[in-house]
Amino acid sequence: MAVSAMHDAMQCLYCQFPEALRAGLLISAVCSLLGVFVILKRAVFIGITLSEVAACGVAASFLLGIPPFAGSLILVLGAVSLLAMPSENQRIPRDTLMGILFIAASALTILLVSKSGPGLMEINAVLYGDLILASKKELLILFFVLTPALLLFLLFVRPTLYTFMDREGSKVLGIKTWIWESLYFLMLGIVISAASQIAGALLIFCYLVVCPATALILSKRIKTVMLISPLFGMTSTFFGMVVSFNYDFPTNQTICIICCILFAVGAACRRAVSLLMRRTVFPEHSVQLSEQNATCRRRAGPLRGRWRS
Amino acid sequence: MGGSIITCTDVCVAYGRQEVLHSVNLEIPEGIFLPFTGPNGSGKTTLLRAMLGLLPVRKGQIETPFHKSPAGYVPQHKVIDPLYPVSVRQIVGMGLYPERRRLLPLNRRQKGRVDGALEQLGMAEHAGKNFRELSGGMKQKILIARALVCEPEVIIMDEPTSELDEASEKEVLQHLLDLNRNHGITVLMAHHDLELMGKLTDSTCHIRRGKAEIVTIGNGGECDA
Repeated sequence: MAVSAMHDAMQCLYCQFPEALRAGLLISAVCSLLGVFVILKRAVFIGITLSEVAACGVAASFLLGIPPFAGSLILVLGAVSLLAMPSENQRIPRDTLMGILFIAASALTILLVSKSGPGLMEINAVLYGDLILASKKELLILFFVLTPALLLFLLFVRPTLYTFMDREGSKVLGIKTWIWESLYFLMLGIVISAASQIAGALLIFCYLVVCPATALILSKRIKTVMLISPLFGMTSTFFGMVVSFNYDFPTNQTICIICCILFAVGAACRRAVSLLMRRTVFPEHSVQLSEQNATCRRRAGPLRGRWRS
Repeated sequence: MGGSIITCTDVCVAYGRQEVLHSVNLEIPEGIFLPFTGPNGSGKTTLLRAMLGLLPVRKGQIETPFHKSPAGYVPQHKVIDPLYPVSVRQIVGMGLYPERRRLLPLNRRQKGRVDGALEQLGMAEHAGKNFRELSGGMKQKILIARALVCEPEVIIMDEPTSELDEASEKEVLQHLLDLNRNHGITVLMAHHDLELMGKLTDSTCHIRRGKAEIVTIGNGGECDA
């Protein structure tokens, strides 16, 4: 019964909202791929900061009457150049600067939307986006921005990886590290600007962090991680849209929850596999360890009682 | 040993307003095993980084052969974040970046060189493992293999054994000595233990109060200017 209802929902979704489905799959694939490097660089905060700055740009565009992509692009590129300034000799570390930008952008978005006339619905649309409302024009913009960004990233993934992994070692090898680092963050900024109006800050942040994290938990190889992270993003998007369509849930938040469920399942599977491997490969060691644990527990017994009292 | 491979002429290096090295004049002979010793903060790492071109020189000039062939640089193994899901072979293959085609994977000859470098350090059996799964000593050896794979004339190391236990330290230093003696590679490294260096080599570049000079050392680790 439930399966047939889901099947109907899939068909309706594809017939009624083909742009939304295509836009969702494209955004999820590109953001989940770029997100692998966001996590590896330990720059997760940059994801939410740029998403929030992009939302602020969209809000400013409403007020000024300019295209939303232009507004968010200008602000995001401004933020990227501010964050790209060398921070080694600065008194304030880069993540503090990101925090200040995040707070300013979040507050300013609400202020701008409240002054631009529209009501709560528009505020929600700017802050959280709504994938299901993606139009043909928006899909076209996404296609012409995200596809070249994706190709460029794949073309230069090796020097970018080396730069992020070992900056000084790369410099010695003659890699122009500042070019690859700037190019990556520039691309990230452009992708976030293009996707923010439809996907909203929360969903973009989810694609940048949760899907790559799931892939990193499940694989030890960078190539596999870069392959399965977009797959997780696209799968979550597809099923998220189907579930939201079927049960009348907000689309973006449903996708976020499905991404998080996939992460939890992935983490549980990884844990189960590593436990199983330990028992299969080192059965004696595992028995020895459990005996040692039992001895420790026995010895700590009276002490534990004393601490409790 | 031939002529000098690196020449520093009146070199001054500074961090902001603070000058760390003042008028350093050095001629480093080709094929030498030369530790850079001195107290903490004396500028050992700073001088090596300046030689590699990682730090700008405020005054003076450093002549190196690195524009023709890059130096083999061995950082401390901690610079590579264990978060990166990269294999040992990928790390060593990174050393071939200057000569490989950007979009293509390593060709058969290059793969052979990667395996050769790993074999030279006794790490061939770990080629398929993830870098983060290795011990500190093994990681350091892999970084040495990465430096070796591009067949450099000079290997420069920044405290390569500072985080290692005694056994791993001895093993890594022995490999470096073998490379120097058997292959004639110039080995320069920052190291804080003058006594240990005295057992391995008879000369050191001693840095003190921003001045550097090559001095001879006895087995007890005392410097003779």
